[in-house]
Amino acid sequence: MFQQSLFGFGQSADIDVVLDGVENRKSADIKTEEGKKERHLLYYDGETVSGKVNITLKKPGSKLEHQGIKIEFIGQIDLFYDRGNHHEFTSLVKDLARPGELMQNTAYGFEFLNVEKPFESYTGSNVRLRYFLRVTIVRRISDIVKEVDIVVHTLSSYPDTNNSIKMEVGIEDCLHIEFEYNKSKYHLKDVIVGKIYFLLVRIKIKHMEIAIIKRETTGSGVSIGPNSYLENETIAKYEIMDGAPVKGESIPIRVFLAGYDLTPTMRDINKKFSVRYYLNLVLMDDEDRRYFKQQEITLWRKGEKSRKGGGTAQSPTMNMPSHLVSGDHIRRDPNVDSDADTTNAPSVESMKREIDSPSEVRSSDAGLDGSSAVQSPLEANPPLLSD
Amino acid sequence: MFRSSTMAPQMSPQEEQEKMLDEALGIVKTQAFQMKRALDSGKLMDGLKNASTMLGELRTSLLSPKSYYELYMAITDELRHLELHLFDEFQKGRKVTDLYELVQYAGNIVPRLYLLITVGLVYIKTNSCLKRDLLRDLVEMCRGVQHPLRGLFLRNYLLQVTRNILPDNPEGAEESEGTVRDAVDFVLMNFAEMNKLWVRMQHQGHSRDKERREREREELKILVGTNLVRLSQLENVNLDLYRKLVLPGILEQVVSCRDAIAQEYLMECIIQVFPDEFHLQTLNAFLESCAQLQPGVNVKNVIISLVDRLATFSQRTESSGGIPNDVKLFDIFSEQVASVIQSRQDMPPEDMVSLEVSLVNLAHKCYADRVDYVDKVLGSTLHIFEKLNVERVSYESAVSRELMRLMKIPVDQYNNIITVLKLQQYAPLLEYFDYRGRKSLAAYVIVNILENDTLIPTPEQVDTILTMVASLISDQPDQPHEEEDPEDFAEEQGLVGRLIHHLKSDVPDQQYLILSAARKHLGAGGNRRIKFTLPPIVFQAYQLAYKYKSLKDQDDMWEKKCQKIFKFCHQTISALMKAELAELPLRLFLQGALAVGRIQFEDYETVAYEFISQAFSIYEDEISDSKAQLAAMTLMVGTFEQLACLSEENAEPVRTQCTLAASKLLKKPDQCRGVATCCHLFWSGKTITGEERHDGKRVLDCLKKGVRIANQCMDSSVQVQLFVELLNHYLYFYEKGNDQVTVQMLNHLISKIHEELPNLETNEETEQISKHFSNTLEHLRNRMESPEADGVSYEGLVL
Repeated sequence: MFQQSLFGFGQSADIDVVLDGVENRKSADIKTEEGKKERHLLYYDGETVSGKVNITLKKPGSKLEHQGIKIEFIGQIDLFYDRGNHHEFTSLVKDLARPGELMQNTAYGFEFLNVEKPFESYTGSNVRLRYFLRVTIVRRISDIVKEVDIVVHTLSSYPDTNNSIKMEVGIEDCLHIEFEYNKSKYHLKDVIVGKIYFLLVRIKIKHMEIAIIKRETTGSGVSIGPNSYLENETIAKYEIMDGAPVKGESIPIRVFLAGYDLTPTMRDINKKFSVRYYLNLVLMDDEDRRYFKQQEITLWRKGEKSRKGGGTAQSPTMNMPSHLVSGDHIRRDPNVDSDADTTNAPSVESMKREIDSPSEVRSSDAGLDGSSAVQSPLEANPPLLSD
Repeated sequence: MFRSSTMAPQMSPQEEQEKMLDEALGIVKTQAFQMKRALDSGKLMDGLKNASTMLGELRTSLLSPKSYYELYMAITDELRHLELHLFDEFQKGRKVTDLYELVQYAGNIVPRLYLLITVGLVYIKTNSCLKRDLLRDLVEMCRGVQHPLRGLFLRNYLLQVTRNILPDNPEGAEESEGTVRDAVDFVLMNFAEMNKLWVRMQHQGHSRDKERREREREELKILVGTNLVRLSQLENVNLDLYRKLVLPGILEQVVSCRDAIAQEYLMECIIQVFPDEFHLQTLNAFLESCAQLQPGVNVKNVIISLVDRLATFSQRTESSGGIPNDVKLFDIFSEQVASVIQSRQDMPPEDMVSLEVSLVNLAHKCYADRVDYVDKVLGSTLHIFEKLNVERVSYESAVSRELMRLMKIPVDQYNNIITVLKLQQYAPLLEYFDYRGRKSLAAYVIVNILENDTLIPTPEQVDTILTMVASLISDQPDQPHEEEDPEDFAEEQGLVGRLIHHLKSDVPDQQYLILSAARKHLGAGGNRRIKFTLPPIVFQAYQLAYKYKSLKDQDDMWEKKCQKIFKFCHQTISALMKAELAELPLRLFLQGALAVGRIQFEDYETVAYEFISQAFSIYEDEISDSKAQLAAMTLMVGTFEQLACLSEENAEPVRTQCTLAASKLLKKPDQCRGVATCCHLFWSGKTITGEERHDGKRVLDCLKKGVRIANQCMDSSVQVQLFVELLNHYLYFYEKGNDQVTVQMLNHLISKIHEELPNLETNEETEQISKHFSNTLEHLRNRMESPEADGVSYEGLVL
């Protein structure tokens, strides 16, 4: 409809693309540049994209003269600050008709066999990666064009190595903590399970939260430069502790990822952009100073089938939650004086105070304090989250 | 300028609390209403959102524990609706997939965990095989709330909602939902975490708020204690499990939290919530932990509380066996108390003593017949004093107060001082009191003896008791210099005097030894005391002599023994004389003379004469006041009149001496009255055979002498009075049939009085005299009008 209203004036034919298997194929949401959600059919790498192009003449009986009809399969990256250029990384063409005249409504079948779709569809703050089909009726004055978007998800297999992230961090003589996330690579429906040990607490902590930060970098070489952009977005802000713990306490972490708007980690996509995810552990003291430590995690998309199978095998009953704390979790003896081991451990990394590196947290700051940026399924209303 | 906030009067903190609470409750009400409406119309997600908003109110830091509690109650009440709704849905089979996961998206931890617990509960209720894992998950996830107040209430919610679903199957049972052991683990962990939070409150905030914080902690303690109550309610927690898992778990937390308030409360809690049968079998573990508590903990109260409970238990179950034989209750407590005292060098001595008090109570209540237990406690108290290098326990001190309690218990419990004397350590311990302390306890002991009418039947016991009460018996080296209040002193000494009457054996020889022993102690009492303490001894001795007399058929030696007794008395009375007392020894000698006269042992006349002469010497040498002289004279005459033990050879000097002494009195009226009194010696005075003398002439001589002396009186009022008195004397003897007294003599006296009486001034004294006189005449008139059958004749009497 949108396309029609734009090109409809003086148009003598409508183009309609019907993809094969619409009824059975899944679809997926993707955001437009304006932030609206759209739903398109979902394809994976290597899948054939086929269907029919229907051309309907506006005035029955009249004829349509053309210089040829073709259909293209295009994968391209658009940088919003460089609108003139589209960076195509895939472009396949099929001719549907030789130059001639269309006397009546006509349908053309097409098939792009086992198309490579190396990247995942993505719409970010400064970049969009999209796949679409474009049908063009070439005409002398103005072509009749129809574009149809599809969504591509890239699936990964279970990572070979998936170490936990374990790290001791601190502020000298004020705070030493050890945190542990059970993995470094999480699939999009995964659960982050972890623990934080407090080894030394000499500041008055008010609360602690974990934020999931998405960092999108765009531009040449993907390094920060004059022509490159960096955007931090806080996807989730999740309070994991209320109040001030004392030395020896440990706090469980459990964050469900499925409810958040996440994409797989993308590294250096076609030398144009990257999307990375970080877990930001933020402590706030009672004078509202914030201390944080960021840790990159890799997100990946897991095939649907294996997930289903695992789920049923694990919980024969109904909704047996699979993420419960295990009985044999590590417990710290609160009486062990852990000051000693922390001083002997030179590898303590320092936590950053917000003020120490203003440039880096500029944008994440907005996310943490701006209530609108973070939404969870349960708390769709912004006021719920604001402190 | 017109901003209302500046115009409004400052709100008090309390008003502010109320205002904030009202606001919060308002939000709760609104959100709860919307939640219920959403749930009713099937909008679960909306309902959860409302619940989350409502729960967000519990994130506040502004409310006092009290207000927070009110808010918590209101909110958890509303959560019940959510729980019931979800439960219904689940029952109907409309399962909400991954609800347990869904609620965990709540961004704020406090609302999230309340929701998680609520949902978890519904899961457990509808599918009990999730129970074990979910309980573990919930109790673990709650760690995220480290804020003491919010954490305590959150965990309290967990504890409350799970109270009816904790797995309570016997240990070892193959139950998918878990066994009692899982329940114990769950509650123990929750308990440990709550206790840590509660303890932490103490260390947060300003030190000037310490008092307020402690008050607030006091208000919250019940939340922590509820965990222990829950453990005690698990049916399958048997003794074995209690001993191996429950108690060690609790004690470890209690000891390691190193907080005095928590330790004291929780130890008390353990005592109160778990059954006595368990306590009896775990005494060592419990008491060992007591030794490890913080210096600030009043361990004493804890142990006392346990002792009291077990003692009550022992009494309650006496019929069904009481304390099991294999539980050496006293020994365990005794050892553990010793080790608590040993390990807590900072413990105030009074607390150590009061621990011993509790031990004595235990011994009494559970082992009433074991005097040795009590003695053991006294011994360990002694030991404590030795170790602390205590020399004296000052009366005003707290130690003294506790020691006094300790020492009074055996007295009160046995109500028999003889049993108390069996306590070898009693007397040595008593020595630790200062003078006032010893005196106070001594009086207590004596009062007990008197009230229970306890008799002390051996000289050894007498010796011990009098040593025990030495502070009342004689001057003490540590006695204060200032004089005591004379009334108090007299009262104390009165007690000692009464005590002496309880030093008594049925065997006369024994009794003699008792009196000698007592005399030895009392003799050291100094002049101030002996006037109270020696007379009872003397009277006891006289009593003893009478007793020998009554047993003369059984005891050949009785006369010798009586001699000895009177010698003893003589010495004792002499001691009083040396103390510059006069009247008292005089009376005692006279009393002695009477006793001798009645007992009449061998050579008794010599003894009696000696007593009489002693009395005379006292009269002559020591009594100088004329009034006292007259009184003494009257006493002596009274005594001699009774005495029937003197031969004429000894009796005549006594009578003459008396009359002479009477006429030598300083004042004329005294002379007159003394001489008149002496008349009786010659009339009703006894011969050695016990008959009345009836020497009418000597009587008349005395009477005449009296009239003569009366005539010499200058004061006419006194003179008339004496005449009236003499008339009565004349009359007495006339009526007794003394023929030397004639009607003429009576008439003469009467007319003389008639003559003089009107000349007297009219005053009260005169009135008395004329009343006396008219009464006398009235008597005579009666006699004349209605004479007695064999009475004398009043013929010729002129009234």
